[in-house]
Amino acid sequence: MSEIMPDDMIVCRCEEITVGEIKQSIREGAKDITGVKRRVRAGMGLCQGRTCEKLVQQILCSELNICPEQTGRSTARPPVRPVTFGELAEGGVV
Amino acid sequence: MIEKDVVIVGAGPAGLAAGIEASKAGANVLIIDLNIKPGGQLFKQIHKFFGSSAHRSGTRGMDIGMLLLREAEENGVEIWLKSTVIGLFPGNKVAVEKGLENEAKEVVTILAKKIIVATGASENVVRFKGWTKPGVMGAGAAQTMINVNHVKPGEKVVMLGSGNVGLIVSYQLMQAGCDVVALVEAAPKIGGYAVHAAKIRRAGVPIYMKHTIIEAIGDETDCVKEVVIAEVDDKFQPISGTEKVIEADCVAIAAGLKPTVELTRLLNCEFTFNGVFGGFIPLHNKNMETSVEGVYVAGDATGVEEANTALEEGRIAGIAAAQSLSLIADKEAEEKKDAIWKRLEMLRLGPFGERRLSAKEVVLAEYLNKVGMPQAEIKLKG
Amino acid sequence: MALENTGYLEYEELVQIQTIPDEERFKKGAVAVIECVQQIPCNPCEAACSRKAIIIGNPITNLPIVNGDECTGCGICVSKCPGMAIFIVNKVHSETKATVAFPYEYFPIPTEGEEVKAVNRKGEVVCDGKVIKVMNPKAFDHTPVITIEIPKEYVDQVRSIQRRRAE
Repeated sequence: MSEIMPDDMIVCRCEEITVGEIKQSIREGAKDITGVKRRVRAGMGLCQGRTCEKLVQQILCSELNICPEQTGRSTARPPVRPVTFGELAEGGVV
Repeated sequence: MIEKDVVIVGAGPAGLAAGIEASKAGANVLIIDLNIKPGGQLFKQIHKFFGSSAHRSGTRGMDIGMLLLREAEENGVEIWLKSTVIGLFPGNKVAVEKGLENEAKEVVTILAKKIIVATGASENVVRFKGWTKPGVMGAGAAQTMINVNHVKPGEKVVMLGSGNVGLIVSYQLMQAGCDVVALVEAAPKIGGYAVHAAKIRRAGVPIYMKHTIIEAIGDETDCVKEVVIAEVDDKFQPISGTEKVIEADCVAIAAGLKPTVELTRLLNCEFTFNGVFGGFIPLHNKNMETSVEGVYVAGDATGVEEANTALEEGRIAGIAAAQSLSLIADKEAEEKKDAIWKRLEMLRLGPFGERRLSAKEVVLAEYLNKVGMPQAEIKLKG
Repeated sequence: MALENTGYLEYEELVQIQTIPDEERFKKGAVAVIECVQQIPCNPCEAACSRKAIIIGNPITNLPIVNGDECTGCGICVSKCPGMAIFIVNKVHSETKATVAFPYEYFPIPTEGEEVKAVNRKGEVVCDGKVIKVMNPKAFDHTPVITIEIPKEYVDQVRSIQRRRAE
């Protein structure tokens, strides 16, 4: 298994986080998507986890032997899509 | 602050249909979409749609898109393109990064009486060695390249996944002049419609059932040049010694979709996990209203299905929003919604649809249990 | 159903699941053969036939049935089926030849008189064929219906032609 899913395989492309780093964060106590995110930044990049969340979920499920709904979901925060500070400042949102 | 009766996020089939219905009832409607063209995924769908005559079956998706756009235009629906909703806030405020004429952007806030979230879904990925190499992409991305941008994603494509997306995109890749050198499926049974599988078989596409991709090998520039596939056992684990190397310069991944739900998450709507619908989805009632009063959902953002169901759910949300603004008489609105729910039931028939029919019933029942009536206050997560 | 495991139907399997015209009807000339074997909510074929020779009825998931007495083998339903699952088969085209008509949405579109490689449901070349008719009117909405002539013995196998590449 490790041969086809090596530890140096990238999972979160935005933040360049590997399978190994995610497994390590789980060994250190991460129990859900948010726990992994806080420890190693997987899902904190430009796409905000849209690509890797499911992959992180799969690793959590196999490492902890839990089902997908137990892995939770990362908290959504505005802005949900990237926006420049300049535009935000000018717009004076809310 | 700009004020609107109904603000709809997403100009796909669900968003457009919602806009048309709300506008017909007399609502002041704005649809916001981040793409350069409206229509969502419809304009990528160059194939003829299944369904009943009532759903314009036998018509190509892109042509249904044109009809919807015209109807939206005729009904005075306003659409902002290249504009992104970056947040929803208490008091029904919608923050938008609005695209301007000169490619510039500005952030504006809109006060909406009702909000309809029709943000669709995004593609799932599958990881294997080399999955980040140039040439590996989602099947939907490959479809956008050929059908919207008219660029071939590669000459020889390996498709992963035998659901309808995998089968249809394989067909369309060949129509665009690519070769599909293998379709790989881990399950023992083809996931999509057999007729879609039959037409790519007739065109000579080899289908490898109970197989998976274990590696994409790159050339000197790291671009995909070979794909290694292997047979899997009953637990979907590759069986060593069964590897085959296939020459290919593109891998398209059709591993299903997941609903795009950040905006409803942001409002702290009640959620549920539903495997049939692709993961976590906002709970909603028969008005397509979430647990937050005045916030509606429609289409794939409420559970991944297909264009016709998205269209019909959009209509319901549009009618319900107009009804709660007292723009349609209750009796008329109820009759219209009932008729649409009956049509939806028809779309969710047969061996492919019935799972979705019962999953929808579970979601509606869970709403009644957990939420009962939508709450007036939008509660932001602390 | 083997179709679900392989992506193609064996002829023997087809005749078990789907009602296809009997040999008596085939002796009378061209007729529609519908290879639609799953209960999909879909019915444009029923609406396409002005002679009401295709019946689905209620529920919409019923498999279509061809009324051989009414079907003239005109081919309009072939272009309308979103699943590309309808073929027009003429087993009595001549002493030795039969014809099969099928939808074909690839470029280049074959032309009448062209020699082609006829393929079976698996995409394997089984014999040579000749294009005798190309129907592509506006009403077919870019789904040309190609009729090819093939040796009689292959008529139950042949369902398309080998895909060619644009120059």
